[in-house]
Amino acid sequence: MLAAGAAPPRPVARLGPVRALARRFLRDARTRTIAFAYLFAVYAYIQPVGYRSAYPTLIGRVDFVRSFAGNAALRLFYGYPYDAVTVGGYSAWRVGGTLAIAAAVFGVLAAVRALRTEEDAGRTELVLAEAIGRRTAYAAALVAIAVDALILWLAQFAGYLAGGLPAGGSAYLALATTSLVGVFAGLGAVLCQLAPTRRVALELGSASVGLFLLLRVIADTSSGAGWMRWATPLGWAEELRPFTGERPLVLLLPLAASALLLAAGAWMTVRRDVGTGVLPARERMRPRMRLLSSPLAQALRSERGSLAVWLISTGAFAFILGMVSTSISSAGISASIKRELARFGSGSIVTPSGYLAFVFIFFILAVSLFACAQIGAAREEELEERLETLLAHPVSRVGWLGGRLLLASGAALTISAAAGLLSWAGAASQGVSISLPRMLEAAANCMPVALLFLGIAALAYAIAPRASAGIAYGLVTVAFLWYLVGSLLAVPKWVVKLTPFQHVGLVPAQSFRALDAVAMLAIAAVACLAALWVFGRRDLIGP
Amino acid sequence: MSSAPPQPTAGGLPSTGDARASPAIRTEGLGKRYGDTIALEALDLQVQRGEVYGYLGPNGAGKTTTIRLLLGLHRPSSGRAELFGVDAWGDPVTAHRRVAYVAGEPFLWPALTSAETFEFLARLRGGTDTAYRDVLVERFQLDTSRRIRALSKGNRQKVQLIAALATRADLLLLDEPTSGLDPLMEVAFRDCINEARERGQTVFLSSHILSEVEALCDRVGILREGRLVDEGTLAELRHLSAQTVEVTFAGHAPELPPLAGVSVQGAGPNALRFEVTGSVGPLVAALAQHPVTSLTSREPSLEEIFLHHYDGSYGRARG
Repeated sequence: MLAAGAAPPRPVARLGPVRALARRFLRDARTRTIAFAYLFAVYAYIQPVGYRSAYPTLIGRVDFVRSFAGNAALRLFYGYPYDAVTVGGYSAWRVGGTLAIAAAVFGVLAAVRALRTEEDAGRTELVLAEAIGRRTAYAAALVAIAVDALILWLAQFAGYLAGGLPAGGSAYLALATTSLVGVFAGLGAVLCQLAPTRRVALELGSASVGLFLLLRVIADTSSGAGWMRWATPLGWAEELRPFTGERPLVLLLPLAASALLLAAGAWMTVRRDVGTGVLPARERMRPRMRLLSSPLAQALRSERGSLAVWLISTGAFAFILGMVSTSISSAGISASIKRELARFGSGSIVTPSGYLAFVFIFFILAVSLFACAQIGAAREEELEERLETLLAHPVSRVGWLGGRLLLASGAALTISAAAGLLSWAGAASQGVSISLPRMLEAAANCMPVALLFLGIAALAYAIAPRASAGIAYGLVTVAFLWYLVGSLLAVPKWVVKLTPFQHVGLVPAQSFRALDAVAMLAIAAVACLAALWVFGRRDLIGP
Repeated sequence: MSSAPPQPTAGGLPSTGDARASPAIRTEGLGKRYGDTIALEALDLQVQRGEVYGYLGPNGAGKTTTIRLLLGLHRPSSGRAELFGVDAWGDPVTAHRRVAYVAGEPFLWPALTSAETFEFLARLRGGTDTAYRDVLVERFQLDTSRRIRALSKGNRQKVQLIAALATRADLLLLDEPTSGLDPLMEVAFRDCINEARERGQTVFLSSHILSEVEALCDRVGILREGRLVDEGTLAELRHLSAQTVEVTFAGHAPELPPLAGVSVQGAGPNALRFEVTGSVGPLVAALAQHPVTSLTSREPSLEEIFLHHYDGSYGRARG
């Protein structure tokens, strides 16, 4: 050892690499952490404020609870409302459910980023070649995720406080959602050990979040299935009952699950080969020459796994939404509440077709996010320099990006069509009479917004490839949140109308708004053309 | 598998009339700047058809930048680059029909096997010589059933190399193609380049492995900090550079009068070493009056020429 006399005491020296690595992980993930922290803070702030301004009186709130909040179909999104008459209870219902999903997604992403992305890029080998053990590297990743979780907790807590909720309840509510970061980071950590590649780990992680959400949805919407809430971590967050009779003992569940999963991950991480998973990957096989005829075909080949995941999960949700649409009825809803509901954008959410029109907004959101993900996949080709290999061949840049845009549009249309078809099938299976052509129209109605965001994402990618993913996902998220809360706030109408989601006719309840659709498609086309033009003229970038 | 090989390039004589005059590579005042950094400055380069051209320079000298500009992947800040008379930035698709490229790092699709990669890259080009490819797979001892993900860096490099060589493209742009290859494969690579030369293909070999360039290349360009500081055949470069003359005397080494173009160093009690630029005549005349017991003259190796350009005191303007 150099300068042995001046060396710090041993415990500090042992902590050194953990701290250095954890700092590295935190820096690598900072854009995502900041984005999620914003989302958590703003959403936590805006819901209590919006509720107070929309339902200032107790009578109004009771009325609201009886109709809107008691509606099984809405529980699907927000979870079970234990007490939506108080501001705190309402916030717990509206924010808790949504942010719990966001926290779950964050947990999976953070774990895969710290534990597998580094490894697949070969950097973990460098780290492990130092006098750093695998346990140390694993511990450093957990420290980084814990710090991220703390930041999210603080952001949410601050949001509630600013929104006028009491400190104790706010802290507990924020804890209820943030506890899921640990659980899903643990799940992600285990999947990182099992999966042969980062991508598979990420796909399995997303699929598990979807599965647990599905369990929660069934538990919250079907009578007699309430016990199923205990089977899904997303249900635990509800059973903590923030603001509505707290049950802090339930916290033991996420705590135990996190500890168990993280320990399992640690156990596996020292027992497998670096760069591989416990599940075997097939590395040797007979060549399959399908979908290799062009860059577009090959893009479809490499994206088909994620396309299937999107298609299946969207289709499954659509079918369930169609089925629960039968539970909608307008009985007992006062005229004033109907007016309030109208402010959410749909005049008649209390009929099956009105309900399906309302939920299709979420499909529009999903397809828009899918469009961003497709541009993200194109961007990855460039960042990992495979695009250089491709473009050294007689392949035009404009043709390549145009092909990716075509693929994204076609896939978005397919996913939308599946949503329309299967929500119709779900409704029909319960004897609800909704016309199939109208539901397919609702599917087509997803496209203008999705293509608009596709165009914007493509343009962002062409101009600023490195920052583009953040820009695209950020814009979609902000636009959607603005749609959800903008109409509850006292702001001028034109400000509310800034989000593209406000320009969608809610098919099948309302008619298709052709003019707005044409305008959005025109902007989308201009953005795509501009993207192609810019992309044809810039340097390719490396990692 | 793929379709027939592309148009043959027998003897390097192009059949198309209009392109007959244009060299395989021509750049005029080609420059590239990234922000404040000048990566390449005013490069005037001509590589004739059928030539094997060595492009030498240490890391960061601008070799890869040059190739990216030649491929139209990056946009020139100044000047222009042409491949067979086709503007590299303006019409890359046409230019690339006659070019095969091997990157310094193998960036391929991890989920594809080598065989699938060959098929994909061949389809992008619109055909390749599959028979020759099979020969190359054999020669480089590649297991084509494995996914790229499972291959070592050297094996991934072989995939790139085989795919590029099998195209029999008129111009091979090779950016440090042998990085990661073992010595046996290096020999196989040299065989392939010599075959390419015999077929009349043009080869642009960017490298910092001097022995490789010395063994393969007809002409060499030396790049330093984004500028081409020397260029010529190996014989020309040697002629322009100093040659080393070592002389041993019977008895103590004498004092010689100063001679133009000759520098002297002691090499022992009765030996001297001379670095001679230009003719050795005056030195020989001066030595004639002294009791010389042995005289050896040695032309500089490419390594010495190269090092001259990177040693500040030997810095020499081009030409």
